[in-house]
Amino acid sequence: MPDGPLIVQSDKTLLLEVDHDLADACRRAIAPFAELERAPEHVHTYRLTPLGLWNARAAGHDAEQVVDTLLEYSRYPVPHALLVDVAETMARYGRLQLVQHPVHGLVLHALDPAVLVEVMRSKKTAGLLGARIDETDVVVHASERGHLKQVLLKLGWPAEDLAGYVDGEAHPIALAEDGWSLRPYQNQAVENFWHGGSGVVVLPCGAGKTLVGAGAMAKSSTTTLILVTNTVSARQWRDELVKRTSLTEDEIGEYSGTRKEIRPVTIATYQVLTTKRKGVYTHLELLDARDWGLVVYDEVHLLPAPIFRMTADLQARRRLGLTATLVREDGREDEVFSLIGPKRFDAPWKDIEAQGYIAPAECVEVRLTLPDHERMLYATAEPEERYRLAATADGKQRVVDQVVAKHAGEPTLVIGQYLDQLHEIAEHIGADVITGETPVKERQRLFDAFRSGEITKLVVSKVANFSIDLPEASVAIQVSGSFGSRQEEAQRLGRIMRPKASGKTAHFYTVVARDTVDQEFAAHRQRFLAEQGYAYTIVDAEDLGVAK
Amino acid sequence: MASFSGYLRARSDDDLVALLTRRPDLATPSPATLASLAARATSRSSLDRALAGVDALVLQVVEAVVVLTEDPAAPAPSVADVVRAVGADADGPADADAAAPEAGAADAAVGAAVAAAVDLALLWPDDDGLHAAPGLADALGATLAGLAPATSGGDRRRVEAPADPRAVLADAPAGAAQVVDALLWGPPVGRAPAGGPAGQAVDWLVGHGLLVRGDDRHVVLPRDVALRLREGRTHRAPALAPGLTSAPVRPDALVAAESTGAAERTVRLVRQLLHLWEQTPPGVLRAGGLGSRDLRRTAQALDVDEAEAAWLVETAASAGLLADDGEESPSFVPTVEADVWDGEDVPHRWARLARSWLLSARTPWLVGERDERGTLRAALDPELARPWVPRLRRSVLDVLAGLHPGAAPDADAVHALLRWRTPRSVPPRATVDAVLREAGLLGVLGAGALSSAGRALLIEDAALDAGDAAHAPDPAAALAADLPPAVDEVLLQGDLTGVVPGRPSPELEELLETAARVESRGGAMTVRFTADTVRRALDAGASADDLLARLGAASRGRVPQPLEYLVRDVARRHGLLRAGAASAYVRSDDPALLAGLAEDPRLADLGLRALAPTVLVADASTAELLEVLRARGLAPVAEDARGAVVHALTPARRVRGRAAVRARRRAADGGPVHQPDVRARAARVVDVLRRADASAVAVAAADDAPDDPREDLGARAAAVAERARAGRSGAGRAPTTGVRTTPGPSPATRDGGTSDPADALLLLREAAQARTLVWVELVGPDGRSERRLVRPLRVEGGRLRALDPRREAELTVAVHRIASVVPADAPD
Repeated sequence: MPDGPLIVQSDKTLLLEVDHDLADACRRAIAPFAELERAPEHVHTYRLTPLGLWNARAAGHDAEQVVDTLLEYSRYPVPHALLVDVAETMARYGRLQLVQHPVHGLVLHALDPAVLVEVMRSKKTAGLLGARIDETDVVVHASERGHLKQVLLKLGWPAEDLAGYVDGEAHPIALAEDGWSLRPYQNQAVENFWHGGSGVVVLPCGAGKTLVGAGAMAKSSTTTLILVTNTVSARQWRDELVKRTSLTEDEIGEYSGTRKEIRPVTIATYQVLTTKRKGVYTHLELLDARDWGLVVYDEVHLLPAPIFRMTADLQARRRLGLTATLVREDGREDEVFSLIGPKRFDAPWKDIEAQGYIAPAECVEVRLTLPDHERMLYATAEPEERYRLAATADGKQRVVDQVVAKHAGEPTLVIGQYLDQLHEIAEHIGADVITGETPVKERQRLFDAFRSGEITKLVVSKVANFSIDLPEASVAIQVSGSFGSRQEEAQRLGRIMRPKASGKTAHFYTVVARDTVDQEFAAHRQRFLAEQGYAYTIVDAEDLGVAK
Repeated sequence: MASFSGYLRARSDDDLVALLTRRPDLATPSPATLASLAARATSRSSLDRALAGVDALVLQVVEAVVVLTEDPAAPAPSVADVVRAVGADADGPADADAAAPEAGAADAAVGAAVAAAVDLALLWPDDDGLHAAPGLADALGATLAGLAPATSGGDRRRVEAPADPRAVLADAPAGAAQVVDALLWGPPVGRAPAGGPAGQAVDWLVGHGLLVRGDDRHVVLPRDVALRLREGRTHRAPALAPGLTSAPVRPDALVAAESTGAAERTVRLVRQLLHLWEQTPPGVLRAGGLGSRDLRRTAQALDVDEAEAAWLVETAASAGLLADDGEESPSFVPTVEADVWDGEDVPHRWARLARSWLLSARTPWLVGERDERGTLRAALDPELARPWVPRLRRSVLDVLAGLHPGAAPDADAVHALLRWRTPRSVPPRATVDAVLREAGLLGVLGAGALSSAGRALLIEDAALDAGDAAHAPDPAAALAADLPPAVDEVLLQGDLTGVVPGRPSPELEELLETAARVESRGGAMTVRFTADTVRRALDAGASADDLLARLGAASRGRVPQPLEYLVRDVARRHGLLRAGAASAYVRSDDPALLAGLAEDPRLADLGLRALAPTVLVADASTAELLEVLRARGLAPVAEDARGAVVHALTPARRVRGRAAVRARRRAADGGPVHQPDVRARAARVVDVLRRADASAVAVAAADDAPDDPREDLGARAAAVAERARAGRSGAGRAPTTGVRTTPGPSPATRDGGTSDPADALLLLREAAQARTLVWVELVGPDGRSERRLVRPLRVEGGRLRALDPRREAELTVAVHRIASVVPADAPD
């Protein structure tokens, strides 16, 4: 196509011009195999990676389709070497399969004997493979199913896991769709997951990942182990499940630092699972406590490394990963792929927003010029002190005041890292503070009050970043935060992007001290948010009064 | 029977001109007579050269004629005989009886090959038939056409070869026929299995004269047997040109896109290379060439691998854009030509690179490998030129040019064809790969097929060779025609990136390269703006408004707010710090005084400028400044970096001792060259020793000559030893020469003392060891000295730690503060 919307670069990035007439069709066509890297206003960048291509293969797309799609939408001739590479990469997936053999049990079956030989020769597979049955099959030690998949992926020959799953202990679970129902994309996500067997569903914060989990549980109707990041999140899962499914409180157990209940549906925290005593993981028995039919991993991108090792032993059970992003700060995306499974569903944030499920958010960075005495203090401070000095600059208080005043009456969150600063701000604007020290009960009470509109302002520390549910927050003000990691941004934005009853625009403010490391971190944040396609504006604190 | 020289003599002038053109070595130097021409044409070296250039079929034809005329009694073969001999008349020798008149194509090809061999005077015809040029059999070697040497087995005991080997074979045991078949078409030597049925078959064949034992383990199919078994043929089948019809065909648009992309990339990288080396020219190795560290640095700066960096450097140098500057410590720098080149448009820049590449004798693919002596081959090393390289480039590209447009044969196919074209000089596979890779990098190939610019380049080259410059196509124009239209629009985005959805126009590219960092290129160009890149643009002289206006003009929409903010923010900070040069400064708390100095016309020579009310800087040196200000009746003082007042400001001049300077020079110059000098010095040393020897005798005789200016080593050593003895005992007289302190009137305190630093250290160490007391003379910071009686504890790191028994205190002093040391006679 001489005038297509897509430009294929030789470095394997795909540039999609969004204003083009065919942009939407093209986006749908390339979404299965290309990973959206950034989505600013004019040109979206996708990238072809081996993992992405294998994800596509796992979902049933073949190289010919990919090549045809590229040729169809590309504006310029597609680099020949890239097409060859796509075909070669995709051909590597599924040459090896993990299957159940009627006699030998779990075997690695090769469609191409040469690949089997290559893999068996590798030192990395030593100890994972057993006796060779014939030219194309070799016995796999059942305990090494996960480990083998990891190794094969590293060798560049990702195996297709067709060995199936244990049924698990049956337990009736149904969705209680009284006055609500799963949204179409949630249904689609559940379907895709179920047909794929195991895998990851990628949905933005606020798009109802919990419901996808509930849907998968209803589909499975077996005992389920749910792994979540922390206790607050565990309680939210429990509440949501009680509300949305036929499960009652008695059927749901919490397995955390404080309680150790094992029930048909058990919600455990990562922390308790990764607790070591005398070098031994003391709570591993939970994984075998029941014959789980489904294991759900919440926030897969935060999954701690030890959990991967444990998951390697859980390969016979269905696994569902839920996350807002497959990007891991530690770069272990490949472990997610091999141990939990390929991506089964992915919806670009912007698309979901366009469907009205997420409030559009507007990001504003407020740059604060430090007064001279603070600048001097900053300039002479030790490097490790600098961030704290910049982050807790006095002037931020005034900016928060202004923003709070501007959005008076709207549910507003102030997020920060330094407790002194948070307490001061809270006192000043007359709001409560939630920190790591706040008792769970008190936390819940405040969240409930916030949710019900009883209070409209809340100051939260880092603990609030992960998996709490504040459906009506429409303004967030970040005064400090560590190192602007991509995860953190996704979480923070997630706070305020829950569907709004009013459909009003959400606002995300970050207050940054000018010419300090604070501003450098803000640059990361700006890049991330703008790449996600959010309107991003930078204003000077002095201009805040007149800024929109 | 006619002779070769007779044949040549009978040729027309045109024929001879054609021959000399085809075999240019025959014409240089000009042969005097035809006889000498004939002699030269049949010389081994000339025949070798001619054979090196012929294709496999011509070689077969020549071999066939040589084999068929081996027997002087045999009639000269006709063309038809040759056709049959090389197997072109039928599918193969197996069904040789079924002569195949329909094999017309092969027939014609062999006919053409015979004509070609005749044109080269490798064969010559007369009325009887074809003859091989004299000497050809030797030039082809003993094992031509897969036959054993004619004399094979002649000197060994051998059973007489059967007249009809086929008939003999009919009675052979199982396996024998297979053995013979395996050796029949060459190579004629095989490994003989020991024992077993195969071994027995071989034994039987040897017994019947069909095989000959070469050595204990090998058997040979003798030439006469093979020829009889081949039934008069010399070759199994004619070596027809391998067809490359199976090569994949790339669409024109793809070839154009990939070749122009590569061409633009190379031009851009060469340009970057020139700019890089203009800033930081790398040095030339002593052997010529570029150091591997410089190559690595260049590769990193250009973001390419080292192999490509080497190629770029070589290509730029071949095009005359880079050269050794010829300075005393030489560097590679861009040439004047480079400036001309830089001013041209992309197609012309490319054409210049491509033309010089095609003709270049350089072998950049060898860079990074080790030569025979194990030395790393460096880029631009003069040794890396090979005269055959231009020919190889041509022949590789000619293979592609001979195919239909868009054909992209792989390296295997190209190599196979080259092997057929010149079987006597097959280019190594690695060099063919390298040439194809280079052609791909340059854009002569696109997606593996010859681009239209590449084709134009070849045609132009051929036309220029033929002296027909008027009809040569312009490669630059061909490239320009393939370049996609330039886009002068950029899509600027809120995440501080920009995308040019196509090939940027030169102006736009320059703007973006200055103000942003290029992230990817290809069909489009993507860039990212950062504070650093914007600052770079401001450094280059742009203002914020100017930059925003230019970006705005190129942008499809308005400039995104975050980008505008970034530019303004960087501009706000740009120039907050100012740096400049000054030589000295004057500061004072009295602004009025300084203002007066700055305005004083009598001080104009000092170049005083006010940087702040209390600070002036001067172009004059501090010393000059002080002098002039003092002359004006002012009372300046000098200060050091910490603001402390310094009294003496004249820097103390010091020089190294002459010997040290000379030694350094020698070290820098490197040894061998100055060997005579060394030898002369050695001679002088020996001379000195001789004289020393003589004088030692004299000293021994004189017994007491400590003040002899010609004090020799032996005497000196003796003196040192004596002194050491004196020191240890605390008694005895030290020999006194020059600086040594003369023993004073009070032997109890002065005897055995020294102010020589080395001797002083010795004394101190000995005193520390013997726990004895010494008088030391210490010089204080103010220059006054005092004498103290101390017991040294330790001398180390330039410091003396000692006990002062009178004050019962320990003291530590720097040894350079100790002016003299005198042993005190007895401990307290």
